[in-house]
Amino acid sequence: MTTLRSGLSKHLFLIVVGVLVTYPFYYMLTTSLKTFGEATAIPPTIFPLEPTLENYPEAWSKAPWLRYFANTVFIAVASTLGELVTSVLAAYAFARMRFKGKYVLFAVLLATYMMPAEATLIPNFVMMSKPPANGNAFFPILRLGLYDSYAAQILPFVASAFSIFLLRQQFLSVPQELQDAARIDGAGHIRFLWSIVLPISVPALVTVAIISFYGSWNSFQWPLIVTSNPDIRPIQVGLNAFRGEAGSQYHLLMAAASFVVAPVVLLYLVGQRYLVQGIARTGIRG
Amino acid sequence: MSGGAIATDQRAASRRRRILVDSAWAYAFLVPAFLLLFVFKILPAIYALYISLYRCAVFCPFTPQDFRGLTNYTDILFGARAEAFWRSLSTTFTYAAITIPFEIAFALVIAYVLFQKIHARSAYRTIYYLPYVTSTVAAATVFNWVFHPNYGPVNAALERVGIGALTWFDEPNGVFAMIADRFGATLPDWAGGPSLALASVAIFSIWHFLGFQIVIFLAGLGNIPAEYYEAARLDGASQRQLFTRITLPLLSPQIFFVFTIASIGVLRAFNEIFVLTNGGPLDTTRTVSMLVFRTFFQQGQIGLGSAMGVLLTVIILIFTLVQFRVLERRVHYG
Amino acid sequence: MRKLSILAVIALLIAACGGSTPAASQAPAATTEADLDITGPVTITLWHALTSDPQKGALEAAVKKFNETNGKGITVEAVVQGNYTQLYQKTLGAIQAGALPDLVHAYESQVADYTRAEVVIDLDPYLASKKNGLDKASQDDIYKGYYDTNRFPQYGNKLLSWPFTKSLAVMYVNEDMLKAAGKTIPKTWAEFEEAVAATTKKGADGKATQWGFAFNSDASYFNAQVFARGGNLMAADNKTVAWNGKEGLAVLQMYDKFNKEGTGYSPKGFDFQDFFAQGKLAFFFSSTSSMPFVKAAADKSGAKWSVANLPQADAAKAKTVQFGANVAVLKTTPQKQLASWLFIKWFSESAQTADWATKSFYMPVRKSASDSAVVKEYWSKVPQGKQGFDLIGVSAPEPNVRGQQDIRDVVSNMITEVLTGKAAPDAAIKTGGDKANQILKDAQ
Repeated sequence: MTTLRSGLSKHLFLIVVGVLVTYPFYYMLTTSLKTFGEATAIPPTIFPLEPTLENYPEAWSKAPWLRYFANTVFIAVASTLGELVTSVLAAYAFARMRFKGKYVLFAVLLATYMMPAEATLIPNFVMMSKPPANGNAFFPILRLGLYDSYAAQILPFVASAFSIFLLRQQFLSVPQELQDAARIDGAGHIRFLWSIVLPISVPALVTVAIISFYGSWNSFQWPLIVTSNPDIRPIQVGLNAFRGEAGSQYHLLMAAASFVVAPVVLLYLVGQRYLVQGIARTGIRG
Repeated sequence: MSGGAIATDQRAASRRRRILVDSAWAYAFLVPAFLLLFVFKILPAIYALYISLYRCAVFCPFTPQDFRGLTNYTDILFGARAEAFWRSLSTTFTYAAITIPFEIAFALVIAYVLFQKIHARSAYRTIYYLPYVTSTVAAATVFNWVFHPNYGPVNAALERVGIGALTWFDEPNGVFAMIADRFGATLPDWAGGPSLALASVAIFSIWHFLGFQIVIFLAGLGNIPAEYYEAARLDGASQRQLFTRITLPLLSPQIFFVFTIASIGVLRAFNEIFVLTNGGPLDTTRTVSMLVFRTFFQQGQIGLGSAMGVLLTVIILIFTLVQFRVLERRVHYG
Repeated sequence: MRKLSILAVIALLIAACGGSTPAASQAPAATTEADLDITGPVTITLWHALTSDPQKGALEAAVKKFNETNGKGITVEAVVQGNYTQLYQKTLGAIQAGALPDLVHAYESQVADYTRAEVVIDLDPYLASKKNGLDKASQDDIYKGYYDTNRFPQYGNKLLSWPFTKSLAVMYVNEDMLKAAGKTIPKTWAEFEEAVAATTKKGADGKATQWGFAFNSDASYFNAQVFARGGNLMAADNKTVAWNGKEGLAVLQMYDKFNKEGTGYSPKGFDFQDFFAQGKLAFFFSSTSSMPFVKAAADKSGAKWSVANLPQADAAKAKTVQFGANVAVLKTTPQKQLASWLFIKWFSESAQTADWATKSFYMPVRKSASDSAVVKEYWSKVPQGKQGFDLIGVSAPEPNVRGQQDIRDVVSNMITEVLTGKAAPDAAIKTGGDKANQILKDAQ
């Protein structure tokens, strides 16, 4: 009896928390279904009295959302694939190879991991600039001229110390006997990596990929400052621009927020096992 | 020389050769990652120091006459920019102080309840985790609407219970000052507390990161052997004692971890503040990250901005090290 | 087409030879980049801050018309870069990155900042060019104030930008509320305070149900009131601010009074426009460019409203702020610079500026616009447009010195401090003035 009652009170507690946590989503969705008049009614209605779907096509037509989505997918996929390749190779070297300077390089890696993005924001921006045309300048360090390009949004995220650590940890757990057996069979590093290490590391790889994809999908500050052409704008920067254009038309803004949020939420519901495992194992907070 | 020695020599030679070949492969494997890390992490870190020695308005060609030595640093720490800098630093730490303890406490309690054998645990977890996967820009846009001074449901609820509408993200007055004001008291400026705007940003932050902390704590709880609880129960320990004597100490590594990660996250916070308040009202939410952004991107002062970025980095590093030192001794590693 | 290019070659040849003969060097106007021809298709990018309709749509329509009719192969691409602050940030970033647009929409003090980076083109040669410039009559047709504001004392009085989205600070009046309170449009500040008190109504709980006035913490409206009270914004040498005198203090004191009496409302976003249309707000100060939004709201509710100059200390010296932004041509290639000039020149021609005024609700830049049939028809439908237009003559620009951008924030914070009770008006104006003077000193 007591367990039943305490079970109920626990559920009650968890439900109250759940309602508080999800309320903003609920309010976002319901506002997106309201007319302008109802969205700005005082006091606000709990449920749309005359629900309408018209806000969605209207918000969609007011900005190049499809382009924003395509840009984001392209940037996220490219940086995720790139990050997987560079991290797998480097992690394998650290986990399964002997070479001179291993500890020094590992320490360097650790140092880059500790380096917060704030330290590199401005110099990275300057490096993305074009060399100035008036030529009176003195530049000791390279200028990539990538300002306002996809490359500027992808390249800095193709290597990640964090992913290397994570995969190294995974690769270290592959038994040494497997490597010895592979060598006796005449398999080199690449074959061993490809046909034995990678297949048994799929969960870790998926974790790295999901975390990288999320980071890329939600990145905002860097693309905000390094792009000016709307054609290459990612979705978060696009939503921020739309905030200004929509002004006080919150019914449209909430419709836009809904379709911006929807893909990641769906992805989360499908891949949540990997993401949660990844967080639990690695503790990345974004 | 004996045959054995020759064999050893040969073996050593072949081992050396293998190490050499291995090394060549290893370097080849490391090149892509390290090249990119060098260009986008290591080089910029050095470059940041270089830029921070120059002062130019709007456009910086880094000519010798723009070189100012350490003037940017002295200006920020003691000179014309000092007021803004120290103020933003204090804002940053205030923000940390009103965010992190609540984040940890809420997450701990929820994770603890959730960890008990409870139906639909994964459903709850899925729900709690939603804010964290939602992009900050979208989530903050929604928050601005939920807390809208005129049309927001939060104010509608406050009106109903008789507290009355608040201006949340637009309110520069201190929280304590506002409470005191309700009771007809006036507090001195220093006791006014964080502005309601900053407190509102903190509410957002707690909401947004709750799921993250819960997952970490759930993982930690899973590592605590069930026998500990059983043994304690046999000794007649109460629920409360179980929590304070077993759960808390054994969860301390996770608490420490969350504390560190959350502190660094708060010190670096940008996106949510940019969307929610953009540093206002009256600069009460201008954290150091926001100040760096403004100095660099709105005042065109890249040298000063870079110097602030360097100082922020140093602060983050010191803070992390101190945390490790202080907390390491108290943390119980199970 | 072919004939044209032959002519161009001849012109170039003459120009090229001209320099070498002593006779030609005495010619009044030296040949400059401003006298070139457009020799091939040119695409130019215009960054602007018109984020919403009708202004955004009106600009896009004008650009489309120019692209279709210019006959020189010039294509203009208009890109919204967010509000004015975001546009300013983007432009500063682009300057640093060396990836400039060709034309940028900007306030005067922002142009001053861009000029500091040596990326702004002096428009005087283009204006004076025999071939591509404006004739005397056309030059005189454009309001003098619009030249004044785009000439920069810090940079040799050069013409560094061109009038684009011009407007004025005016007072919006809800005529219905005024009539109900038995008042007429206030001409002096004393009358204004009376009218604000008379149009405010409070419920049984002491809370206002309708307000006389809505505050605006934007610096431009503070500046407009300083003008209207007979004050100046800058000292004569442009080295210190002048708004921190008794006129500025009077503005803050009035705000403080309205705030404490509960006759003034602190807006949340643009909700005051709805309140105004719903008969819950009698007066607010805003730009004439708010008209489309106010009109849309008032059309819905049927409220009767008008636009008038701010109350004045001295009616004979009536003054308000002329503002709204301009457009600057940035340093790119001679061809693009010329194409940019040709676009903004076209945009300010009588036909275009008249059309623009009726669609965007901005002020036309030419006096002759008032004779245009389109404008007359528009005024018959929107009499408030004419009410604003009639004030152009008494409008004066805000400072166009470097540092003004930061000073605007100082002014705005000063007002917020007073409205939130964090500082008394006299203390706020003193610290505000000191901060502003420090900024000016830093920006020298």
